Amino acid sequence: MFLTKLALKNLARHRNRTLITASIIAFAVFFYLLLDSLIGGMTEMSYEMIINYEAGHLQVVTEEYWAEEEKLPLKNLMTPGPQLLAAIKDVPGYQGSSAELSFQAMLSNGVNELPVIGRGINPQDFAGVIDLADHFVEGEMFRADGRGAFGVTQAVIGKRLAELLKLQTGDYVTLLVKDKNETFNTIEAEITGLIHTGNPLANQGVVYLPLDVAREALAVGDQASKVLIRLENKNRAPKVANELAEQLRAINPQLAVYSWDQLEAVTVAGAKQMGNQLIMTIILLIAAIAIINTVILAALERMEEIGMMKAMGLQTKEVIYTFVLESTGIGILGGICGLLLGLAGVGLFTIVGVDFSAIIDMTPYGIPVVGKIYGVWNPASFVTVFAFGVIVSLFASILPAYWAADKDPVKAIYSR
Amino acid sequence: MALLEMRGLTKIYDQGKIEVPALRGIDLTVEQGEFTTIFGPSGSGKTTLLNLIGCLDRPTAGTIIFDGQELAGLEKKALAMIRRRHVGFVFQSYNLIPVLTAYENVEFAVRLVNEYEKKEIRDRVLRILEAVGLAGLEKRKPNELSGGQKQRVAIARALVKEPKLILADEPSANLDSKTSEEVLQVMLKMNQELGTTFIFSTHDPRVMEYARRLIEIRDGQVAKDQRRG
Repeated sequence: MFLTKLALKNLARHRNRTLITASIIAFAVFFYLLLDSLIGGMTEMSYEMIINYEAGHLQVVTEEYWAEEEKLPLKNLMTPGPQLLAAIKDVPGYQGSSAELSFQAMLSNGVNELPVIGRGINPQDFAGVIDLADHFVEGEMFRADGRGAFGVTQAVIGKRLAELLKLQTGDYVTLLVKDKNETFNTIEAEITGLIHTGNPLANQGVVYLPLDVAREALAVGDQASKVLIRLENKNRAPKVANELAEQLRAINPQLAVYSWDQLEAVTVAGAKQMGNQLIMTIILLIAAIAIINTVILAALERMEEIGMMKAMGLQTKEVIYTFVLESTGIGILGGICGLLLGLAGVGLFTIVGVDFSAIIDMTPYGIPVVGKIYGVWNPASFVTVFAFGVIVSLFASILPAYWAADKDPVKAIYSR
Repeated sequence: MALLEMRGLTKIYDQGKIEVPALRGIDLTVEQGEFTTIFGPSGSGKTTLLNLIGCLDRPTAGTIIFDGQELAGLEKKALAMIRRRHVGFVFQSYNLIPVLTAYENVEFAVRLVNEYEKKEIRDRVLRILEAVGLAGLEKRKPNELSGGQKQRVAIARALVKEPKLILADEPSANLDSKTSEEVLQVMLKMNQELGTTFIFSTHDPRVMEYARRLIEIRDGQVAKDQRRG
C-alpha cells in the first residue's frame, strides 16, 4: 500500500515529464479513435455503395462464372427461368430481383473511346434492386422495351463518363463488344439519361442497356450473368444465401448464391482495414517508446534512491512495482485524456464528416465512395484502445524498471 | 552472544584484467550495544567493510555471522529481509525520498517491517521524530529541511524499526561542526536508550571522540582495535 502511495506521489514529481508522456499517449489514443471512426465510416459507406449501386444483397450465379467474375466472361452463364425466379421471390425478406448480363465493351462517341462495363438490365426489375431514380442529373431511365423513336436502342451512363466523352442526353454512342463466339459486334444507342451516384464506378465506368439488346448483341440467347436480389435487411443476407443455395441445387446444381459480404471489393475493404489497424498499432508503439524513455530517465535520476530503497530491504520486484505502477498511472492519465479528445473528435466526425474527394481520389485505393465520409461510433474501440494504452504503458515499463531495480545496491547508492 | 563475527573477511574487486583487493582477511567481533568507529585513510576498505556487514555486498572469501546466522550462503531475498528487519543505514548524502515528508520517510521503513498496527506505527514515528529533535517538522519534505535536519530524518528512519545494527557511512561529512555534534548526540542517546549497536565509518575526529571502540583499517586489514572505558 505504501509503495502504491509512493508511486502515485512520484507521478507528480516531474509534472512536466508526466504530462508530456501522458500527452503522447493521449494523442496516440485520440488518433487511433479518429482513424478507427473514419475507417469504420469508410468501410460502412463503401459496403452501402457496393450494395446500392453494384451488387444488391445477394447474387445468384454459376460457380464457374463466380470464379472468373472479374473478367465478365460470357461463358458459364445461367438461365433465369420461371422456376428459379419463383424460388428467389419466396426467400424471406425479399424486396426485388433483377437478371443482368454484364460484359466488357468499348464506348465510343465517334471520336474517342473508353473501356466500360456494359450492364444489360430490365429497368423495372432493376429498380427493385438498385434504385437509380433519384440519381438522374439529366434525362431518365430508358423505357421498359429499351427502344426509342424509330426503334433506336436506349442507354444510361454516368455523368462523369459523359463528361469524359463530352456527351449529353440525346447523343448517340457506339459500343464495341465481342459476342459469345468471339465475333465483334456493335450496339448503337441513344443516351436517355445521365446519373451521378456515390459510387465512382457507376459514375464513370458503366453503360446501362436493355437486357434484350445486350443478349442479342452478345449472342447468349436467354441467358444472364447473374440475378441480383435485394432483401429488407442486409444482415440476414448470409443466412438467406445459404438457404436459397440449398433450394436452387434442385433446380440447377451448378448455381450458387453469394451474399454481399463475399464480394471481392468488400474483402479488399476488409484487408485495407487490417492494414490500417497495423498503422494504428505503430502509433501506440510510439506511446510505448515514450513510456520506456520516461522510466529510464526516472531510473537514472533516482539511482541513489533505488539503492537506498534496496538497502532498506526492498526486493527487486517491489522496486519494479513502484516504477510499473507509476507508468501505468501515466498510461491511465493519457488514456482518459485521449478518450475525452476522442469523444469530441469522433462526435464531430459523425456530424460534420470529411470530404476526402476534395483532397484525393479515393477510388484507386479501393474506397468506392464519392463525397463526404462520416465517422461511426465504435464503443468497443474506446474500451479496447484505453485498455491497450494502459497495458502498453504497463508492459513497456517492466524491462527498464527491472534494469533499474536489479542494480547492485552498493553501485546504486554510490552512483554519484 | 556477539552480534557480528567476521573471520578471514576478504573482498577483491574484479576490474577487468586487474584485481583490486579491498579487504584482506579481516577478523572482528562486535558485541550488541557497541558504539564503534571504523576509521582509516580513503581507499583503506572502510566502506567495503560496512557494505559487507550490512548485507549489501558479498565477500570474496571469509565468513560473517550476523546474530548467529551465517550470511555466506543466503539468497538475495534473504539478505534483503535481514536488512529490512535488523539493519538501519545512515549515509553521508541522507538519501531521503524527496516526494515523501519527513514523517513518511520514517514511516516507510517501519511499514516495510510489516509488524505493527496503524496506530502503533504512528506513535513510533512521532516518538522517534521527537527523539531526534524534529517534532513539528513532520510534514516537511526533504527540500524544506536543513542538512542537519535531513540527517536526523535519516537517523530516525534507521532507528524507527528498532534494528539490531545501525551502519553510518560518513554521517557527519556534509554537516557543520555544531550540527554534526547534535546528530552524534542523538545517536549516542539512541545507543544508550535502545541498546542499538552503531558502527560508523569516518575520517571525522569528532565522531571518533564519541566512539567507545576505535578500529583502524589500513590496506584492507585491521591495523588497530582500541576499546575505551
